[in-house]
Amino acid sequence: MSEVAVEKVEIEKAPKEPLFSTKNKKLITDPLNENNPITIQVLGICSALAITVQVKQAVFMSLSVLVVLMAGNWIISALRNLIPNRIRIIVQLVVVATLVTLVDLALKAYVPDVSEKLSVFVGLIITNCIIMGRFEAFAMGNRKWPSVLDALGNGLGYAWILIAVAVVREVFGSGKFWGFQLIPDSWMMANGGFYMNNNLMILPPMALITVGVIIWIQRARNTNLIES
Amino acid sequence: MAINKEGSAYTFGFAALMVIITGASLALVSLGLSSNIKKNEADKKMMDILSSINVESERTNAAQIFNSVVKERILLDADGTVIRTMNTDVDPANLEDPFNVDVQKDYKQKISKLVQANKNDKPVLLEKVSEQDVQYPLFRCEKEGETYYVVPMVGTGLWGPVWGYIAMKDDLKTVYGASFDHKTETPGLGAEIKEDFFEKQFTGKSIYEDGQYVSVSVVKAGKAGDSEYAVDGITGGTITSTGVSEMIYRTLAIYDNYFKTQRAS
Amino acid sequence: MEAVNIFIKGIFVENMIFAYFLGMCSYLAVSKTVKTAVGLGAAVIFVLGITVPINYLLENYVLKEGALTWLGAEYASIDLSFLSFILFIAVIASMVQLVEMVVERFSPALYGALGIFLPLIAVNCSILGGALFMQERQYASIGDATSFGLGSGVGWFLAIVAIAAIREKLQYSNVPAPLKGLGITFILTGLMGMAFMAFMGIEL
Repeated sequence: MSEVAVEKVEIEKAPKEPLFSTKNKKLITDPLNENNPITIQVLGICSALAITVQVKQAVFMSLSVLVVLMAGNWIISALRNLIPNRIRIIVQLVVVATLVTLVDLALKAYVPDVSEKLSVFVGLIITNCIIMGRFEAFAMGNRKWPSVLDALGNGLGYAWILIAVAVVREVFGSGKFWGFQLIPDSWMMANGGFYMNNNLMILPPMALITVGVIIWIQRARNTNLIES
Repeated sequence: MAINKEGSAYTFGFAALMVIITGASLALVSLGLSSNIKKNEADKKMMDILSSINVESERTNAAQIFNSVVKERILLDADGTVIRTMNTDVDPANLEDPFNVDVQKDYKQKISKLVQANKNDKPVLLEKVSEQDVQYPLFRCEKEGETYYVVPMVGTGLWGPVWGYIAMKDDLKTVYGASFDHKTETPGLGAEIKEDFFEKQFTGKSIYEDGQYVSVSVVKAGKAGDSEYAVDGITGGTITSTGVSEMIYRTLAIYDNYFKTQRAS
Repeated sequence: MEAVNIFIKGIFVENMIFAYFLGMCSYLAVSKTVKTAVGLGAAVIFVLGITVPINYLLENYVLKEGALTWLGAEYASIDLSFLSFILFIAVIASMVQLVEMVVERFSPALYGALGIFLPLIAVNCSILGGALFMQERQYASIGDATSFGLGSGVGWFLAIVAIAAIREKLQYSNVPAPLKGLGITFILTGLMGMAFMAFMGIEL
């Protein structure tokens, strides 16, 4: 296990602190900005590119990731003293894959309508490196409660970037927001108007560029984050 | 603890235990829920077939509406010869029922390889597909005095299978409606094939040009224009769109053998 | 001949990074210098080259419905495909763990530089993507599947080395301070992706 990878929070030695101590609060707030999983830790990019064409999909994906990440972090943290170091990656992946598959099967049997909406995300969630990344960097070395908080913070940090990119792409790419038409049809060039949707926005390269611009804005506001 | 956590014995033991627990729990859950899942899938299939002829239904009443609208379930072979027909209520347990022919399974096992190998040569592909031992279900529906024929089809998208139903009008040349679905296409891109704006484009298209079978192609978004034989694909979902186009061409070409004899009579 | 076509296609037309945008996390994070990029790229080629054929065998002799026929006719109707995700992932994870141990043993410097991103190859979407594409495309033989795996790996290698070389040169450019590092890399990758779209639609 490399030293760079693990952020051991010194929480192990102080077991009797309040549930929402300053340290624990930081676990939630840090990933929202200064330690954002997408723009700083560079985790979970693939999904950020694939499903940010529409806001609705981005919200669904964020919620699913949030739930899986919290459950997974809790389980891994509970098992952390039992998992042999040599096969820890396999164990982590099997935990998340099993969890997601079980939930998917249950949804299919009892709430098929929800399952139809979510099942396409199943594969995306399992391979989302944000989940493995947090298992490896946090849950493997920390207690259960901080791990759940860390998952919550990172899930939210992931969500806001995803949704921000999705808003930009949906509004400029298809002239819609949450599926509702923002640009009236009569403005469209095809109907003799002056406006045209930017089809480039729908293609994956523009997602990369949008995230790039978000990073630019974020680091211009918080100069501590600038890389030397 | 006395156990050496890094020892090989512990590692193997842990791995074995993990495999047993996860394997068993997955198998149990999958087995235990399979009857529920199967019923939900059958309901969904009925809803999709009904939606291709613009009949709205919900899970609770899908079977009831289906049995009243679908007058005849026909099973064909690749040459268009009728193997058998059924007009009783659908029985999910009866494997003879054309409704229960698993077109997705047939596609996966017998046809998808041929499609991959011959994707640049349509005549050869069609010839090879029609040589396969596959049965083709067809649904004859009646709605407001009109007769429609619903054709189920399966193809390959970017990540997994895509499938759908195309309803033909009584003349067996004009498309009345379509409904598509997919397993794992990218949300917001390829997954859009199941949205109304894509499916609605098919209404009124023709699969015949000057007496020749041409199918309805899915072309690059914005390129279809007023064509009677093409619809706009999904921007950013090129591979899914191409998959849908291939699926329609291949499937309707086979059913056309039956349509030809029907039109002649 | 088919195998060569699949290989070339994997590198250019269906490049994992520029055409499908898979495996981005490690691509963006570990492309600061050409040296580490070469190391990670080689690891990805290796892992893809090994896991795709193994998963191909699993798919065709264990998972697919009817795949177990070799055990006897009574197994012909068993369909284990609900296990495919977990098995693919397990194969990938064990290969990655193997690579991790080898790298740690023979190149501690590279091991340090790759940090958390070495274990993360396991969730590098391009690797699972490789397995899923293989399952979907139904390659005719294990040779074709292997050349697909290797081709995709080489494509990924090429992409990460290219961006690393650009980033090394970029140090002498006058990039606005907040865009330095990650920001400009995102934008560059976007531009390179647009350029690679020129390969789309080439039939091989």
